[in-house]
Amino acid sequence: MLSFVLRRLGQSSVLVLIMSILVFVGMYVVSDPVAVLASDDFTEEDRIALASELGVDRPLIVQYFSFLSNVVRGDFGTSFVYNEPVLPLIVERLPATLEVAFLAIAIGLCIGVPLGIYSGLNRKKKTTKTISLLTTVGYSIPNFWQALLLILVFAVWLKVLPASGRGDTTTLFGIELSFFNLDGLRHMLLPAINLAIYKICMQTRLARSGTQEVMFQDYMTFARAKGIPRPRLIRRHLMRNILIPIVTITGLELGGLIAFSTVTETVFNWPGIGKLLLDSIHNADRPVVVAYLILIVMMFVVINFVVDVLYALLDPRIRYT
Amino acid sequence: MMEQLISVNDLTIAYPMADGEIFRALKRISIDIHRGQVVGVVGESGAGKSTIGKAALGLLDENAVIETGDVSLGGNSISGLSESEFTPIRGKRIGYIYQNPMTALNPVLTIGEQLLETIETHTDKKGKSARAYAIELLEHAEVTEAEDRLSKYPHQLSGGLCQRMVFAIAICARPDLIIADEPTTALDVTVQKAVLDTLKKLAKQDNIAIILITHDMGVVAEICDYVYVLRYGGMVEHGPTKQILTQPKKDYSRELMAAIPRIDKKLARFAVPGGMSKTGNRQRALDFLLDREERSAIAKGEPLLSVRNLSKTFVTPANVVSAAKEFKAVDNISFDVISGETMGIVGESGSGKSTVGRMILGLHTPDEGYQLTYHGKDLPVAKSRAERLELSKSLQCIFQDPYSSLNPRMTAGENITHAIKAHGIIGRTAAHELAGNLMELVGLQRGNVRKMPHALSGGERQRIGIARALSFRPDFLFCDEPTSALDVTVQAELLNLMKDLQEALGLTMLFVSHDLAVVRQMCDRVMVMKSGQVVEIGDCDKVLVNPDNPYTQGLLKVMPRFSFDEAR
Repeated sequence: MLSFVLRRLGQSSVLVLIMSILVFVGMYVVSDPVAVLASDDFTEEDRIALASELGVDRPLIVQYFSFLSNVVRGDFGTSFVYNEPVLPLIVERLPATLEVAFLAIAIGLCIGVPLGIYSGLNRKKKTTKTISLLTTVGYSIPNFWQALLLILVFAVWLKVLPASGRGDTTTLFGIELSFFNLDGLRHMLLPAINLAIYKICMQTRLARSGTQEVMFQDYMTFARAKGIPRPRLIRRHLMRNILIPIVTITGLELGGLIAFSTVTETVFNWPGIGKLLLDSIHNADRPVVVAYLILIVMMFVVINFVVDVLYALLDPRIRYT
Repeated sequence: MMEQLISVNDLTIAYPMADGEIFRALKRISIDIHRGQVVGVVGESGAGKSTIGKAALGLLDENAVIETGDVSLGGNSISGLSESEFTPIRGKRIGYIYQNPMTALNPVLTIGEQLLETIETHTDKKGKSARAYAIELLEHAEVTEAEDRLSKYPHQLSGGLCQRMVFAIAICARPDLIIADEPTTALDVTVQKAVLDTLKKLAKQDNIAIILITHDMGVVAEICDYVYVLRYGGMVEHGPTKQILTQPKKDYSRELMAAIPRIDKKLARFAVPGGMSKTGNRQRALDFLLDREERSAIAKGEPLLSVRNLSKTFVTPANVVSAAKEFKAVDNISFDVISGETMGIVGESGSGKSTVGRMILGLHTPDEGYQLTYHGKDLPVAKSRAERLELSKSLQCIFQDPYSSLNPRMTAGENITHAIKAHGIIGRTAAHELAGNLMELVGLQRGNVRKMPHALSGGERQRIGIARALSFRPDFLFCDEPTSALDVTVQAELLNLMKDLQEALGLTMLFVSHDLAVVRQMCDRVMVMKSGQVVEIGDCDKVLVNPDNPYTQGLLKVMPRFSFDEAR
């Protein structure tokens, strides 16, 4: 197990390194921070002064290595735009994104998995065909358009849920959270539902195909032959076996939601990190983008690690050496 | 006289097929079973045996249609019941012993949970008392360290132990009837004996009725009171075991029995049709095979392969709780295989017999200090590609499982010639031609070249496996349990084929099997292995008839005999 963890760590540091080079070069090619930040009335001297202030007058390779040596000391640099250290800037916005992501995943699992098991068990019923149709629709609707529809229905026509912003927050351990008060929850609901619809469809399909596969296994027939009551059969014998693919996908999806909910956060004006990323790319704010993507890579590594550990817990045949 | 427990009346079960045809798995079958009676249902795969058991438990596939008749338990019809109405009958009144113990247990739940949930569902024992009862059941089934086993997962136990777990689950609620579907097929003879004895005891002591579904007449002779012989879903004949075994009325029953390999005398061929194809043109393939280059000047009667001091130790790596464990799978064995003979290796599972073969093929590296001489050269041969190819051309293998040893994405023909094509020995067109020739040789239609493996039966697939091994024009074949996954009649046909091929081609064979009777029929000499060591080695006529070693004597004693007079 220990060697497994160490190997994983080694692999991910290489990954982070490659990622940082790619983003560094990419941002350099795509945009020039001086051009974005300078006002129209800047003279050529002002521009040179700004460039040297930002440190972008040096050769790219020098910039990269000075960035690396700072990172090793825990300093991810200072935002060109906000003129603040990058790390707090990102971490400050993280809770908002995390909250919505977890809520969306939870909705996806709680609705998708039961629907999938139901369709897997009752393949010929009308309801199953309806569910199957709905998941196809849910898969295909563009995210932003679906967001607009949600706003139209729930915020404009029915006027039951707010359309944008984060609402009231409660501070817990110094972190601002919307989870623990009604107004915050209401604000969270529409963005979370918007993200969850796709997840519900995905979990439904995963659970359905898993159920269909597992129900034909010998051990399910034998479990039925033992006279185990149906609820227990589904809860223990079926669920434990279909959970592995579900856990895999849920892990990847959670990472995706945290990193790239940009469209939803923009439409609902949700102050999360997705929106920060979009703004930073727009403003050529390289330190923010680089630090953000490195953090995202590390997050994916952690999530995948948790998924692997869950595998071993779910399936006794899997042991890591 | 005795209380009628379950009766199947005039039952016909049909499956609508994709092409609109209707497949009838059972055709107007009637069976009666009394308490305390052991009833055998015998037939080859596809005979509909298992369908009877599934119908009695309401476990038929969703699309199955009961066209005529019904199943009644204690006088009440149960065939129309719904899933929820069936649940209280299953396990409680009818226990089911599943064919393959390794797949019958849920891989992600502990043995204990799977046994306890059944006990708690069907008896009033809960929690601790259920646990105590579980341990008692396992000890009753002669499971050692019962308490410890409860926390294990199925993959941590051997097939024999899993089978006893399935057993304990089936009998825990003291059902009136036990349906045992091929309960011994996956087991070694010694374990098989124990399982059959337990079943017999259950029937006699606890007055439980037992339906034993099997393809093995030997098992029937051992414990059944009454036998039904099925073929293609229809009833061939039925009657008391003694009558069916001694005076079968139908040819098919006789054929079934003739196909069982006998231990008492060696026959030239089994009395079933099969062997090399008589219709196809096999001369082309034979010419091709006999045209092989002479590899060395080893005369018939000289050792072609000689093995000295061969050992293999497997090491389980250390983990958090336990230190590294060494397991000696093969322990210092030596033997010769004479050119042109068939040498058998027998032993129970775990005796190391397959490992020996795998080391000869170079799939495992033996421990230091061994000597393998093949064709006068030491193995493993020098690392050069050409020399290794030379060796694999001469030394080929037929695997145990015809289902997993063929590539499912290649046609039968591609499977046969893929390897020689990959080595550039033969071109595309020639390969196609050769595949067809070889298929005719092993008794398949030439047209099957284009079929995918899943469209072929187990026996046909194993023929493909043989054709593949022959494509290299080998002079040595290693056969690892080549027929243990097949029906008796198919097995008999294949063994006939292998004998024909050996005669025609002068092959040398190393034949691994757990079935003493098969070895008796196939081999000239035999080596008996136990826990990695050689127990006895010598001519089959001696070792398998009048062995010196007590272990071999024991093995012979527990073998089920199909000839009735010997069994009783």
